[in-house]
Amino acid sequence: MKKKIKKHHLIALCLLCLTGALCWLTGVQFLSMRKTDTFYPSPGLSAQTKLSDYFSQLADSPGDTAVYCFKGEEEGGNLLILGGTHPNEPAGFITAVLLLENITVSRGKIFIIPQANLSGFTHDDPFEGNPQKFSLETPGGRRWFRFGSRLTNPTHQWPDPTLFTNAAGQALSGTEVRNLNRSYPGKEKGHLTEQIAFGIMELIKKEEIDLSLDLHEAAPEYPVVNAIVFHENSAELAAIASMELQMEDIDIRMEASPPSLRGLSHREWGDHTSSMAILLETANVSHGRLKGKPSEALIVEGKDPNYVKASKLGMLFVPYSEDGIPLKERVARHLAAVNALVSGLRELNPDHAIHIGNFPPAQTVNKRGIGLYLHPPK
Amino acid sequence: MKIIYHLIVLLLTMNLIWYLFREKQFWTQVSTAIVLIMFLLRLFLIK
Repeated sequence: MKKKIKKHHLIALCLLCLTGALCWLTGVQFLSMRKTDTFYPSPGLSAQTKLSDYFSQLADSPGDTAVYCFKGEEEGGNLLILGGTHPNEPAGFITAVLLLENITVSRGKIFIIPQANLSGFTHDDPFEGNPQKFSLETPGGRRWFRFGSRLTNPTHQWPDPTLFTNAAGQALSGTEVRNLNRSYPGKEKGHLTEQIAFGIMELIKKEEIDLSLDLHEAAPEYPVVNAIVFHENSAELAAIASMELQMEDIDIRMEASPPSLRGLSHREWGDHTSSMAILLETANVSHGRLKGKPSEALIVEGKDPNYVKASKLGMLFVPYSEDGIPLKERVARHLAAVNALVSGLRELNPDHAIHIGNFPPAQTVNKRGIGLYLHPPK
Repeated sequence: MKIIYHLIVLLLTMNLIWYLFREKQFWTQVSTAIVLIMFLLRLFLIK
Protein backbone atom coordinates (compact mmCIF):
# COMPACT_ATOMS: atom_id res chain seq x y z
CA MET A 1 0.00 0.00 0.00
CA LYS A 2 1.28 3.43 -0.93
CA LYS A 3 2.03 5.72 2.03
CA LYS A 4 0.75 9.27 1.49
CA ILE A 5 2.97 12.16 2.58
CA LYS A 6 1.15 14.42 5.00
CA LYS A 7 0.59 17.99 3.85
CA HIS A 8 2.45 19.63 6.74
CA HIS A 9 5.43 17.32 6.17
CA LEU A 10 5.55 18.36 2.53
CA ILE A 11 5.45 22.04 3.57
CA ALA A 12 8.20 21.40 6.12
CA LEU A 13 10.35 19.78 3.43
CA CYS A 14 9.83 22.72 1.06
CA LEU A 15 10.65 25.19 3.85
CA LEU A 16 13.77 23.21 4.72
CA CYS A 17 14.94 23.44 1.10
CA LEU A 18 14.18 27.18 1.08
CA THR A 19 16.08 27.56 4.35
CA GLY A 20 19.07 25.79 2.79
CA ALA A 21 18.96 28.10 -0.23
CA LEU A 22 18.77 31.22 1.96
CA CYS A 23 21.64 29.91 4.10
CA TRP A 24 23.72 29.45 0.98
CA LEU A 25 22.91 32.97 -0.30
CA THR A 26 23.65 34.70 3.01
CA GLY A 27 26.59 32.38 3.70
CA VAL A 28 28.26 33.43 0.43
CA GLN A 29 27.84 37.08 1.50
CA PHE A 30 29.29 36.49 4.95
CA LEU A 31 32.14 34.33 3.64
CA SER A 32 33.12 37.00 1.10
CA MET A 33 34.55 38.90 4.06
CA ARG A 34 37.10 36.13 4.60
CA LYS A 35 38.74 36.82 1.23
CA THR A 36 42.08 38.46 1.94
CA ASP A 37 42.86 41.97 0.71
CA THR A 38 45.64 42.39 -1.83
CA PHE A 39 48.26 45.03 -1.18
CA TYR A 40 51.01 46.13 -3.52
CA PRO A 41 54.09 47.03 -1.46
CA SER A 42 56.43 49.65 -2.88
CA PRO A 43 59.76 48.56 -4.42
CA GLY A 44 61.36 49.81 -1.20
CA LEU A 45 60.04 46.78 0.71
CA SER A 46 62.87 44.80 2.31
CA ALA A 47 60.95 41.86 3.74
CA GLN A 48 57.43 40.65 4.29
CA THR A 49 57.03 38.51 7.35
CA LYS A 50 54.22 37.40 9.62
CA LEU A 51 53.42 38.20 13.23
CA SER A 52 53.95 34.48 13.92
CA ASP A 53 57.65 35.03 13.14
CA TYR A 54 57.73 36.92 16.44
CA PHE A 55 55.33 34.67 18.33
CA SER A 56 55.14 31.20 16.81
CA GLN A 57 51.87 30.23 18.52
CA LEU A 58 50.03 32.52 16.10
CA ALA A 59 51.14 30.48 13.07
CA ASP A 60 48.17 29.30 10.96
CA SER A 61 45.74 31.05 13.30
CA PRO A 62 43.23 33.70 12.15
CA GLY A 63 45.28 36.25 14.08
CA ASP A 64 48.48 35.78 12.08
CA THR A 65 48.88 38.97 10.08
CA ALA A 66 51.38 40.36 7.58
CA VAL A 67 54.27 42.55 8.74
CA TYR A 68 55.94 44.71 6.07
CA CYS A 69 59.52 45.76 6.77
CA PHE A 70 61.30 48.67 5.06
CA LYS A 71 64.98 48.80 5.90
CA GLY A 72 67.26 51.69 5.05
CA GLU A 73 70.90 51.26 4.04
CA GLU A 74 71.98 53.42 6.95
CA GLU A 75 71.46 52.42 10.60
CA GLY A 76 68.93 54.56 12.42
CA GLY A 77 65.80 54.35 14.50
CA ASN A 78 63.03 51.76 14.26
CA LEU A 79 59.39 52.66 13.76
CA LEU A 80 56.25 50.53 14.02
CA ILE A 81 53.01 51.66 12.37
CA LEU A 82 49.85 49.77 13.19
CA GLY A 83 46.65 50.10 11.17
CA GLY A 84 43.51 48.00 11.46
CA THR A 85 43.59 47.50 15.21
CA HIS A 86 39.89 48.29 14.84
CA PRO A 87 38.83 47.27 11.31
CA ASN A 88 35.81 49.60 11.43
CA GLU A 89 38.15 52.61 11.62
CA PRO A 90 39.28 52.77 7.99
CA ALA A 91 41.52 55.86 8.13
CA GLY A 92 44.10 54.00 10.24
CA PHE A 93 44.03 50.96 7.97
CA ILE A 94 44.16 52.97 4.71
CA THR A 95 46.99 55.19 6.01
CA ALA A 96 49.05 52.07 6.69
CA VAL A 97 48.23 50.72 3.20
CA LEU A 98 49.13 54.05 1.59
CA LEU A 99 52.48 54.07 3.37
CA LEU A 100 53.39 50.48 2.52
CA GLU A 101 52.51 51.04 -1.15
CA ASN A 102 54.65 54.17 -1.47
CA ILE A 103 57.51 54.67 0.92
CA THR A 104 61.19 53.94 0.67
CA VAL A 105 63.49 54.12 3.66
CA SER A 106 67.09 55.34 3.42
CA ARG A 107 67.83 55.33 7.14
CA GLY A 108 66.39 53.22 9.94
CA LYS A 109 63.70 50.56 9.77
CA ILE A 110 59.94 50.81 9.45
CA PHE A 111 57.57 47.98 10.26
CA ILE A 112 54.00 48.33 9.00
CA ILE A 113 51.12 46.10 10.07
CA PRO A 114 48.08 47.28 8.09
CA GLN A 115 45.63 44.76 9.56
CA ALA A 116 46.65 44.36 13.18
CA ASN A 117 43.48 42.47 14.07
CA LEU A 118 43.06 40.42 10.90
CA SER A 119 40.24 38.38 12.44
CA GLY A 120 38.21 41.59 12.91
CA PHE A 121 38.27 42.06 9.12
CA THR A 122 36.44 38.77 8.55
CA HIS A 123 33.08 39.93 9.93
CA ASP A 124 31.17 43.08 10.72
CA ASP A 125 29.37 44.42 13.77
CA PRO A 126 25.93 42.89 14.32
CA PHE A 127 22.93 45.27 14.23
CA GLU A 128 24.99 48.10 12.70
CA GLY A 129 24.00 47.54 9.08
CA ASN A 130 27.43 48.64 7.91
CA PRO A 131 28.54 47.77 4.38
CA GLN A 132 31.01 44.90 4.24
CA LYS A 133 33.32 46.79 1.88
CA PHE A 134 34.13 50.25 0.61
CA SER A 135 35.98 51.29 -2.52
CA LEU A 136 38.45 53.95 -3.57
CA GLU A 137 39.04 55.08 -7.14
CA THR A 138 42.63 54.82 -8.35
CA PRO A 139 43.91 56.00 -11.76
CA GLY A 140 43.88 52.36 -12.89
CA GLY A 141 40.51 51.29 -11.52
CA ARG A 142 38.53 50.85 -8.33
CA ARG A 143 40.02 49.15 -5.29
CA TRP A 144 37.90 47.49 -2.62
CA PHE A 145 38.72 47.22 1.05
CA ARG A 146 36.96 45.36 3.82
CA PHE A 147 35.11 47.29 6.51
CA GLY A 148 35.20 44.96 9.48
CA SER A 149 34.37 44.95 13.14
CA ARG A 150 35.99 46.54 16.16
CA LEU A 151 36.28 43.08 17.69
CA THR A 152 37.79 39.71 16.83
CA ASN A 153 35.40 37.36 15.00
CA PRO A 154 33.51 35.29 17.63
CA THR A 155 33.92 32.23 15.42
CA HIS A 156 37.65 32.61 16.09
CA GLN A 157 37.33 33.34 19.81
CA TRP A 158 34.38 32.13 21.85
CA PRO A 159 32.78 32.52 24.37
CA ASP A 160 33.05 36.03 25.81
CA PRO A 161 33.23 36.07 29.62
CA THR A 162 30.78 38.20 31.65
CA LEU A 163 33.68 40.27 32.87
CA PHE A 164 37.07 40.45 31.21
CA THR A 165 40.14 41.20 33.28
CA ASN A 166 42.99 41.86 30.89
CA ALA A 167 46.64 40.94 31.41
CA ALA A 168 47.29 44.42 32.82
CA GLY A 169 44.63 43.84 35.50
CA GLN A 170 41.90 46.15 34.17
CA ALA A 171 38.36 44.79 34.54
CA LEU A 172 36.21 45.43 31.47
CA SER A 173 32.89 44.29 30.04
CA GLY A 174 32.95 40.78 28.57
CA THR A 175 32.94 41.66 24.86
CA GLU A 176 36.16 43.65 25.29
CA VAL A 177 37.94 40.29 25.50
CA ARG A 178 37.93 40.51 21.68
CA ASN A 179 39.16 44.11 21.52
CA LEU A 180 42.85 44.20 20.59
CA ASN A 181 43.26 47.66 22.05
CA ARG A 182 42.16 46.46 25.48
CA SER A 183 44.29 43.32 25.45
CA TYR A 184 47.86 44.62 25.83
CA PRO A 185 50.38 43.51 26.95
CA GLY A 186 48.72 40.26 25.94
CA LYS A 187 49.19 36.74 27.20
CA GLU A 188 51.28 33.95 25.74
CA LYS A 189 48.62 31.39 26.60
CA GLY A 190 45.62 33.68 26.51
CA HIS A 191 42.72 34.10 24.07
CA LEU A 192 43.46 34.75 20.39
CA THR A 193 43.21 38.55 20.81
CA GLU A 194 45.56 38.46 23.80
CA GLN A 195 47.97 36.35 21.74
CA ILE A 196 47.90 38.93 18.91
CA ALA A 197 48.66 41.64 21.48
CA PHE A 198 51.46 39.48 22.87
CA GLY A 199 52.87 38.98 19.36
CA ILE A 200 52.92 42.74 18.74
CA MET A 201 54.69 43.28 22.07
CA GLU A 202 57.27 40.65 21.05
CA LEU A 203 57.85 42.47 17.75
CA ILE A 204 58.38 45.78 19.57
CA LYS A 205 60.87 44.15 21.95
CA LYS A 206 62.77 42.02 19.41
CA GLU A 207 63.07 44.77 16.81
CA GLU A 208 63.93 47.37 19.48
CA ILE A 209 61.30 49.74 18.16
CA ASP A 210 61.97 53.38 19.11
CA LEU A 211 58.55 54.71 18.23
CA SER A 212 55.27 52.78 17.98
CA LEU A 213 52.19 54.32 16.41
CA ASP A 214 48.66 52.95 16.60
CA LEU A 215 46.29 54.57 14.07
CA HIS A 216 42.63 54.86 15.04
CA GLU A 217 39.39 56.75 14.49
CA ALA A 218 36.66 57.82 16.87
CA ALA A 219 33.17 59.30 16.74
CA PRO A 220 33.01 63.12 16.57
CA GLU A 221 30.98 63.13 19.81
CA TYR A 222 33.83 61.35 21.63
CA PRO A 223 36.14 63.76 23.50
CA VAL A 224 39.39 62.06 22.47
CA VAL A 225 39.29 62.85 18.76
CA ASN A 226 41.66 64.64 16.37
CA ALA A 227 44.19 63.85 19.03
CA ILE A 228 47.62 62.50 19.79
CA VAL A 229 47.32 60.19 22.78
CA PHE A 230 50.78 59.81 24.26
CA HIS A 231 52.46 57.77 26.94
CA GLU A 232 54.50 59.90 29.35
CA ASN A 233 57.68 58.53 27.75
CA SER A 234 56.75 60.29 24.50
CA ALA A 235 55.30 63.56 25.87
CA GLU A 236 58.12 65.67 24.45
CA LEU A 237 57.85 64.04 21.04
CA ALA A 238 54.07 64.50 21.01
CA ALA A 239 54.50 68.17 21.92
CA ILE A 240 57.00 68.74 19.07
CA ALA A 241 54.72 66.96 16.58
CA SER A 242 51.68 68.84 17.83
CA MET A 243 53.42 72.19 17.32
CA GLU A 244 54.52 71.20 13.83
CA LEU A 245 50.96 70.17 12.96
CA GLN A 246 49.52 73.41 14.38
CA MET A 247 51.97 75.31 12.15
CA GLU A 248 50.54 73.41 9.17
CA ASP A 249 47.04 74.53 10.28
CA ILE A 250 46.13 71.04 11.43
CA ASP A 251 44.36 71.41 14.72
CA ILE A 252 45.27 68.50 16.97
CA ARG A 253 44.89 68.08 20.71
CA MET A 254 47.28 66.33 23.02
CA GLU A 255 45.89 63.73 25.40
CA ALA A 256 48.04 62.09 28.04
CA SER A 257 47.51 58.34 28.34
CA PRO A 258 45.72 57.81 31.68
CA PRO A 259 47.96 55.62 33.90
CA SER A 260 44.92 53.89 35.39
CA LEU A 261 43.36 52.90 32.05
CA ARG A 262 45.13 49.64 31.37
CA GLY A 263 45.32 47.38 28.35
CA LEU A 264 45.56 50.06 25.66
CA SER A 265 48.47 50.30 23.23
CA HIS A 266 49.57 53.81 24.30
CA ARG A 267 49.76 52.65 27.93
CA GLU A 268 51.16 49.12 27.78
CA TRP A 269 53.65 49.61 24.92
CA GLY A 270 55.19 52.43 26.92
CA ASP A 271 55.08 50.61 30.26
CA HIS A 272 56.40 47.23 29.07
CA THR A 273 58.90 48.17 26.36
CA SER A 274 61.46 50.89 25.74
CA SER A 275 59.43 52.17 22.78
CA MET A 276 57.76 55.56 22.75
CA ALA A 277 54.04 54.87 22.46
CA ILE A 278 51.53 57.04 20.62
CA LEU A 279 47.97 56.55 19.42
CA LEU A 280 46.37 58.83 16.82
CA GLU A 281 42.65 59.55 16.50
CA THR A 282 40.67 61.17 13.68
CA ALA A 283 36.93 61.89 13.54
CA ASN A 284 34.78 59.37 11.68
CA VAL A 285 31.00 59.82 11.52
CA SER A 286 30.38 56.25 10.34
CA HIS A 287 31.73 55.23 13.73
CA GLY A 288 29.38 57.49 15.68
CA ARG A 289 26.12 56.83 17.49
CA LEU A 290 24.31 59.76 15.85
CA LYS A 291 24.82 58.54 12.30
CA GLY A 292 21.98 58.01 9.85
CA LYS A 293 21.81 55.16 7.37
CA PRO A 294 25.20 53.40 7.17
CA SER A 295 26.60 53.29 3.65
CA GLU A 296 29.80 53.18 1.67
CA ALA A 297 29.38 56.92 0.99
CA LEU A 298 29.17 57.61 4.72
CA ILE A 299 32.52 55.87 5.22
CA VAL A 300 34.27 57.53 2.27
CA GLU A 301 32.62 60.96 2.16
CA GLY A 302 31.80 61.27 5.85
CA LYS A 303 28.70 63.41 5.29
CA ASP A 304 25.78 63.05 7.65
CA PRO A 305 23.01 65.62 8.28
CA ASN A 306 22.55 64.34 11.86
CA TYR A 307 26.10 65.42 12.64
CA VAL A 308 25.49 68.86 11.12
CA LYS A 309 22.59 69.25 13.58
CA ALA A 310 24.71 67.88 16.44
CA SER A 311 27.46 70.34 15.57
CA LYS A 312 25.00 73.26 15.65
CA LEU A 313 23.86 72.07 19.07
CA GLY A 314 27.50 72.08 20.26
CA MET A 315 27.53 68.35 20.93
CA LEU A 316 30.69 67.54 18.97
CA PHE A 317 34.35 67.81 19.83
CA VAL A 318 35.42 68.65 16.26
CA PRO A 319 34.19 71.23 13.76
CA TYR A 320 31.63 69.65 11.42
CA SER A 321 29.81 71.17 8.43
CA GLU A 322 27.74 70.02 5.42
CA ASP A 323 31.04 69.14 3.71
CA GLY A 324 31.53 66.31 6.20
CA ILE A 325 34.87 64.80 7.19
CA PRO A 326 35.87 62.61 4.24
CA LEU A 327 38.22 59.65 4.45
CA LYS A 328 40.86 61.52 2.41
CA GLU A 329 40.95 64.27 5.05
CA ARG A 330 41.19 61.74 7.89
CA VAL A 331 43.97 59.82 6.12
CA ALA A 332 45.77 63.11 5.35
CA ARG A 333 45.57 63.98 9.03
CA HIS A 334 47.15 60.64 9.99
CA LEU A 335 49.85 61.07 7.35
CA ALA A 336 50.69 64.57 8.56
CA ALA A 337 50.87 63.34 12.16
CA VAL A 338 53.10 60.35 11.27
CA ASN A 339 55.39 62.67 9.31
CA ALA A 340 55.52 65.19 12.17
CA LEU A 341 56.31 62.44 14.70
CA VAL A 342 59.10 61.01 12.53
CA SER A 343 60.59 64.47 12.10
CA GLY A 344 60.20 65.06 15.87
CA LEU A 345 62.09 61.81 16.55
CA ARG A 346 64.88 63.04 14.25
CA GLU A 347 65.09 66.23 16.29
CA LEU A 348 64.98 64.53 19.70
CA ASN A 349 67.24 61.61 18.97
CA PRO A 350 69.43 62.23 15.90
CA ASP A 351 71.21 58.88 16.32
CA HIS A 352 67.88 57.12 15.91
CA ALA A 353 66.60 59.24 13.05
CA ILE A 354 64.48 57.66 10.32
CA HIS A 355 64.58 58.98 6.75
CA ILE A 356 61.59 58.21 4.59
CA GLY A 357 61.32 58.81 0.84
CA ASN A 358 58.17 58.99 -1.33
CA PHE A 359 56.05 59.83 1.72
CA PRO A 360 52.53 60.58 0.40
CA PRO A 361 52.07 64.32 1.02
CA ALA A 362 49.14 64.96 3.34
CA GLN A 363 48.01 68.11 1.55
CA THR A 364 47.90 66.40 -1.85
CA VAL A 365 46.02 63.42 -0.43
CA ASN A 366 43.51 65.81 1.11
CA LYS A 367 43.11 67.83 -2.11
CA ARG A 368 43.33 65.17 -4.80
CA GLY A 369 42.25 62.02 -3.00
CA ILE A 370 43.72 58.81 -1.65
CA GLY A 371 43.45 56.90 -4.91
CA LEU A 372 46.26 58.90 -6.47
CA TYR A 373 48.71 57.16 -4.13
CA LEU A 374 47.16 53.71 -4.21
CA HIS A 375 48.46 51.03 -6.55
CA PRO A 376 45.87 50.25 -9.23
CA PRO A 377 44.17 46.84 -8.90
CA LYS A 378 45.64 44.01 -10.97
CA MET B 1 35.31 24.83 23.46
CA LYS B 2 34.48 24.78 19.75
CA ILE B 3 33.10 21.23 20.09
CA ILE B 4 30.83 22.30 22.97
CA TYR B 5 29.58 25.23 20.87
CA HIS B 6 28.92 22.93 17.92
CA LEU B 7 27.10 20.40 20.09
CA ILE B 8 24.84 23.07 21.63
CA VAL B 9 23.97 24.58 18.24
CA LEU B 10 23.53 21.14 16.65
CA LEU B 11 21.13 20.08 19.40
CA LEU B 12 19.04 23.23 18.98
CA THR B 13 19.12 22.91 15.18
CA MET B 14 17.89 19.30 15.36
CA ASN B 15 15.14 20.43 17.72
CA LEU B 16 14.06 23.12 15.28
CA ILE B 17 14.00 20.69 12.33
CA TRP B 18 12.00 18.21 14.40
CA TYR B 19 9.57 21.02 15.35
CA LEU B 20 9.33 22.13 11.70
CA PHE B 21 8.08 18.66 10.69
CA ARG B 22 5.84 18.17 13.73
CA GLU B 23 4.09 21.54 13.52
CA LYS B 24 0.83 21.71 11.54
CA GLN B 25 0.27 25.48 11.48
CA PHE B 26 1.76 26.93 8.29
CA TRP B 27 2.89 30.30 9.72
CA THR B 28 4.49 28.65 12.74
CA GLN B 29 6.42 26.43 10.31
CA VAL B 30 7.56 29.54 8.41
CA SER B 31 8.68 31.21 11.66
CA THR B 32 10.61 28.06 12.57
CA ALA B 33 12.30 28.04 9.16
CA ILE B 34 13.40 31.67 9.61
CA VAL B 35 14.96 30.90 13.00
CA LEU B 36 16.56 27.80 11.48
CA ILE B 37 18.53 29.95 8.97
CA MET B 38 20.44 31.61 11.81
CA PHE B 39 21.09 28.32 13.57
CA LEU B 40 22.40 26.68 10.39
CA LEU B 41 24.74 29.63 9.73
CA ARG B 42 26.02 29.39 13.29
CA LEU B 43 26.40 25.64 12.98
CA PHE B 44 28.75 26.12 10.02
CA LEU B 45 30.50 28.99 11.86
CA ILE B 46 29.51 31.48 9.19
CA LYS B 47 29.34 34.99 10.58
